[in-house]
Amino acid sequence: MNRLHPFSAVVYALRYGLLWLWVPFFLVTALAGTVAAVSIAWLPVVTALGFLFGAAYGVVYYYRFEYGITPDTFDVASGVVARRSREIPYRRIQNVDVRQGVLQRVLGLAVVTIETAGGGNSEAALRLVSKSEADRLQHQIRRRTAGVDADDSDRSTTEASEDGRPVGDEPLDEQPSRVDGTAEAPPVSETRPRREPTEPSRKRLFALDSRELLLYSLTTLRPAALAAVGFLFFFATDTVLDFLVTLSQPFGGPQDLQTGDTQSYGVLTVVSMVNGIVITYLVSVAYTFATYYDFRLGRVDEDFVYERGLLQRYSGSIPAEKVQSVTITDNPLQRLIDYAGLWVETAGYGPDSSGGSQSAVPMARAAHVHRFAENLTHVETPAFASPSPIARRRYLVRYSLIAAVVVAAALALAQVTPLERWYLAAVVFAAVPPAAHLRYVHLGYYVGEDHLVIRRGFWRRRTTVIPYFRIQTVSTRRSIFQRRLGIASLVVDTASSRTLFWDTPTIYDVDLEDARGVHRTGRKRLQSALRERARADDAGFSVDFT
Amino acid sequence: MERLNPRVRVVWLFLAVFRAGIVGGFLVGAALVLSETGLWANSPDLLVPGAIGLAVALGLVRIVVAWRRYAVWRFEVQDDGLYIERGVFTRIKTVVPYVRVQHVDSRRSPIERTTGLATVVVYTAGSRSADVAIPGLTPERAERLREDLRRLAIESEGEDAV
Repeated sequence: MNRLHPFSAVVYALRYGLLWLWVPFFLVTALAGTVAAVSIAWLPVVTALGFLFGAAYGVVYYYRFEYGITPDTFDVASGVVARRSREIPYRRIQNVDVRQGVLQRVLGLAVVTIETAGGGNSEAALRLVSKSEADRLQHQIRRRTAGVDADDSDRSTTEASEDGRPVGDEPLDEQPSRVDGTAEAPPVSETRPRREPTEPSRKRLFALDSRELLLYSLTTLRPAALAAVGFLFFFATDTVLDFLVTLSQPFGGPQDLQTGDTQSYGVLTVVSMVNGIVITYLVSVAYTFATYYDFRLGRVDEDFVYERGLLQRYSGSIPAEKVQSVTITDNPLQRLIDYAGLWVETAGYGPDSSGGSQSAVPMARAAHVHRFAENLTHVETPAFASPSPIARRRYLVRYSLIAAVVVAAALALAQVTPLERWYLAAVVFAAVPPAAHLRYVHLGYYVGEDHLVIRRGFWRRRTTVIPYFRIQTVSTRRSIFQRRLGIASLVVDTASSRTLFWDTPTIYDVDLEDARGVHRTGRKRLQSALRERARADDAGFSVDFT
Repeated sequence: MERLNPRVRVVWLFLAVFRAGIVGGFLVGAALVLSETGLWANSPDLLVPGAIGLAVALGLVRIVVAWRRYAVWRFEVQDDGLYIERGVFTRIKTVVPYVRVQHVDSRRSPIERTTGLATVVVYTAGSRSADVAIPGLTPERAERLREDLRRLAIESEGEDAV
């Protein structure tokens, strides 16, 4: 069993120390008011004691945290008082991520997280190991995962594992650390010469060039940026308000917040809104730029490996056979310049909020992305079928109802505020027909030989390619209105749809007969794909897709 | 196609009345607080009767839905998957292929125990909302169904695709 990098002891000591210092602080503050024996003057002493206790806990935590690579499992034992030891079988590991913050990059440290399909968060997180150790772990786990699968596939035919020595038998220390990334032949080649004669080479599949990075940053809007700006406003309200007032003055804004007439306040509002939008946009651009700076995707054996990040550096590996589905995303801006992005989805949890989906190609020419997706999944070029034309009418009604609610809200507002001309809110009805039309035209589905392709969404259009083999359940849903109109929606659930931000792939509002047909087809082809896979061991995804 | 045990209506009706009571209590209570304490200076006279009416109406809808749910619910152990039909307003027909079954639970809440019923829950690796529960089974049927599903899940050889 190995320990974390010694620097982790410092980090954990600080972390728990800062956490525990508050306990006696609040206790004494609360008791000093009620119990005579407790004095507020104790505060400096007790907080120091609390900190020391927490720091000691952190150090003990470091000494009680162990991990190790065994032939079949990755083991983590942790916990100071309540112990937890966890064994993760290699074949269950979805992806291994390595994350480095700015300070960690300076110190040559990294955080390794291991994802499996179960549970609500990462299965194991090694907070602070050295970068070389992180790379070694990532490499070792990848190799052993591949080893398990190889053993599975040729168990019957092969003379593999010649001397019967388990894969992970060699001492861990023999494995030289690869700080510089050069490939040394691993000692394992002596025991398994046939399968892995040399260190598998890393092949580059895709690299985001500066033009694509810029286009991606400029055309992607992140809701997180809005939250960040809101957070800033919340904490520095006065400074931000002063700043906004100063900015609006050249356009006729008020001298300060107290003195101003209707017109200057109006100018202030408009200018501040424009400023808010511009600042949020700039934050979003900067965030995307920093996150996807120097994005590189490569392959090692049957795994995807990626790296990205300007300040915080991410790297990770995804076994190709763990890929559940592939999604092409584009928004209206990106469609305008004919670009798109490609994501691969696993059942694990990624480092982002995007759950188990990882960007494989953040941004490239739409034609290239489509070709990549076809190479990756072997799907034929899809000829999309549209949902029933009745669906368009449905969206017209739905959006009209939303518009009516907006007008009603304006009317209600006019009752309690001196708002006049509330009926001007009715202009939102003008947006209803185009909105309904746009929603309708961006819906589509294609029932392929081995895949189901589902396209939906206007603002963030997603085209998802699902191999029948990856289907978990199929449901036909019909609301009262859909039953009256004779249409249905088909929900195709996969193991990667367990995320908040990416809805379950759904074919919306197709004719009932079509829905039933697709339902039957999906069900039948899942079974035939299972039989086929049992015969030929086919991962279903090609790693060399670019 | 198999129907649920008719006694499940008792369970659902009980739950419907119970929940309607809680929601109705909040509605009527809020109306009473508003009108009696004078928080709302000149509240309309119909506030409290209106709240009671709304609570009763919501309760009735719940009861009708609970009753109707029994008529809609069906399931069948087919040759390649478990087929389920449910939903009063939104009708949902789901197939859970046996090869995708991760594990099967049978559970009995206190009210199910008093009515002599049990629920079988089938878990898949998909999203949470896709896990299906079959309520309203006699304990023997639930036991048998759980055993059948377990056997079928093992027989249907293949990977779980995760």
